[in-house]
Amino acid sequence: MTLPALLILALVIGYPIVRAVIISFYHYPLLNPQHNFIGADNYRRLVDDPVFWQSLQNTAIYTGVSVVGAMLMGLVLALATENLQGPWRFFRGVLLTPWAVPVIVVAFLFQFMFEDTGGITNDLLLRLHIIDSAIPWLSSSQWSLAAVIIANIWSQAPFFLLIFTAALGGVPVEVTEAARIDRASTWSMIALIKLPYLRSAAVVGALLMIIQNFNNFPLIWAMTEGGPAYSSTTLVIYVYRLAFTSFNLGYASAIGVVWLVLLLMISAAFIRVLRGKTS
Amino acid sequence: MRSCGRSEAIDASTRHPSRIGAGGARRHARTLVLACAAVSLLVVSACSSSGGSGTQNGKQVVTFANWADAEQNTQPGIEAMIKEFEKENPNITVKSLPISYTDIEHQLVLQVQSGNTPDVAELQGNYTFSLQATGALQSLDSYANGSYQQSVIPQELQLGNIDGQLVAIPWTVAPFALWYNKKVMAQAGLDPKPPATWDELLTDLAAIHQKAPKIIAFGTDSTNRTYGLDQNWPVMKSFGGVPFDGKDPSADTQAMKDYLNFMRTVASKGYTPPNKKGGFFRQPAASDQVAFTIDGPYVKGVVQSTSHVSDAQFYQTWGIAPLPSGSDGKHYSAPTDHQLVMFSKAKNKDAAWKFMQFLSTSDYAIQNYTLKYENSLPPLQTPTGEIAKELDNPISQAFKTDVIPTVIRPNWGTAYDNAYSDVMTGVQSAMTSSSSIDSIASHISSALKNDLGG
Repeated sequence: MTLPALLILALVIGYPIVRAVIISFYHYPLLNPQHNFIGADNYRRLVDDPVFWQSLQNTAIYTGVSVVGAMLMGLVLALATENLQGPWRFFRGVLLTPWAVPVIVVAFLFQFMFEDTGGITNDLLLRLHIIDSAIPWLSSSQWSLAAVIIANIWSQAPFFLLIFTAALGGVPVEVTEAARIDRASTWSMIALIKLPYLRSAAVVGALLMIIQNFNNFPLIWAMTEGGPAYSSTTLVIYVYRLAFTSFNLGYASAIGVVWLVLLLMISAAFIRVLRGKTS
Repeated sequence: MRSCGRSEAIDASTRHPSRIGAGGARRHARTLVLACAAVSLLVVSACSSSGGSGTQNGKQVVTFANWADAEQNTQPGIEAMIKEFEKENPNITVKSLPISYTDIEHQLVLQVQSGNTPDVAELQGNYTFSLQATGALQSLDSYANGSYQQSVIPQELQLGNIDGQLVAIPWTVAPFALWYNKKVMAQAGLDPKPPATWDELLTDLAAIHQKAPKIIAFGTDSTNRTYGLDQNWPVMKSFGGVPFDGKDPSADTQAMKDYLNFMRTVASKGYTPPNKKGGFFRQPAASDQVAFTIDGPYVKGVVQSTSHVSDAQFYQTWGIAPLPSGSDGKHYSAPTDHQLVMFSKAKNKDAAWKFMQFLSTSDYAIQNYTLKYENSLPPLQTPTGEIAKELDNPISQAFKTDVIPTVIRPNWGTAYDNAYSDVMTGVQSAMTSSSSIDSIASHISSALKNDLGG
């Protein structure tokens, strides 16, 4: 059974990768039938391209803050709902709903919430006297990345709630009972007993989410299209713009190759962690 | 009773390892054949998915890629047009291929790459130039004969002429104009007359913002897309400059800095929200929450369908004027016209041309689509009869006499696709960051130098 599967994989995954690597060595405008071999020029251009570096930095911030934020939120929610009994367990189900909301819906939802005027976020912050004037969430270079990260954390925290809840179920009762007999405080119980048991789940979940966020296109595109200027442009947005609005496939492929290498490195780390966990 | 053949096979192989060789090879071969068949089917269906032109049931088929059929507002209109055309031409079937406005350019470019183009397509602005650069468009010089050419506004026909070749004909005429809300102006204590210069506009915006800070004083498209640059091009021009000329950047000039300063002023003073599409302002305009907005003729349709005001009430509230001028007193606009193109691989070119001509200049299409659904002007040089009556209103008249003569064609071409993002991110930086205008202009210029390869 492996041979046909390998053939299909080679066709639908291997071929586009090989083709992208080849194209990255060409000047390959889609509008022009003439494509010239230019060696490593696209890669050299990449080194001096400030937009590439800004996109890479934005990708790192977006991915890092989203994963850490969603993980912390998921952890707090998992610990807070750990001991829910009977019908109250339904509450945990409610907390999981953002995970089921399509990303594009999340994007539009937060776009409305972050409207400068009339948006619920500014309205609430103003009423609570937390801010004096409306924050231009999506229309300012300072805030746009933060706005998409907040939306992303809201959308992904339930994933961590789910995996932490499952992991908490694996903490041996005798260990928690022993800690209770020793009169461990709530904080000690969490920090010294439960968190060590959650470490593996956290690592696996974080690595999965890093890969997913690295490639997250629809949320950012629908909320800001990577703007204003390049303030919320990540690698995936930049590659899309280069390939499908500027039709510069050669340079877009070069960035795609670098992006692929970065993802492969993260995936290798993921596999290593998984292997370590299994052994 | 056995549940299924597959589990039986697994059981058999497990029990009799010696059978794995022959049976396993047979199963592999069968799976391989099935997999190959599935892949072939996918490839074949992918290759033929957007085609379908040629003949069907003895009728000539014309495939038509367009966004009119992908948008809720215009979908019923275009469906009615196709039905009417097929009624008038019983030997032709039109197959609509709905593609959203945002995607149509790159989808068609990709279809050109795969050799699988539609017969006719709806395009706009630089999209026509991009497709022409691929060499996939059919020259229409031999189709657009004398009588067609004489019936169409020459300036509009010229917009579809690239390097001396007619490759697109006008469908709807829709240049950018300055819409002004007389009611909002009067409430702010202003004489409800349109500002003639950008300075006058700034004075009006200040008065309106002071009186009603929640009203969007000025709607302008500052999105990072070719349409965003299309809208800003005539504004830049009226300040005395354009960001590039051919392959030469010309963004680091005093004229461009004046323009960027203007954009910074309207954003920093809260007159306009940055990074918004032009269409964003139409809905609030319907509830008098917008004082001025730069837009094509589409505002009327959205306002009337939302607020259900009559024509008379609309004309009482809204007026249009050419975009304000700079110090030289000249006004400029850019087209947002929808054009029709034919692909050179079209199988039924005569039928395709017939359909294009029907949409562009037939009385039926103009009355029941161009005016009714697009709220745009027809490309006719001298409208007569019912069409002339329908165009006898202050908005259409102002478009025809005051705005259309100010239309210039932005520097469209393949360079435009590379350059628009450099320019519009600079515009957005001017509107949303505290970087100096000098450094933004210089940055746009150096980015253009790299991307235009001049």
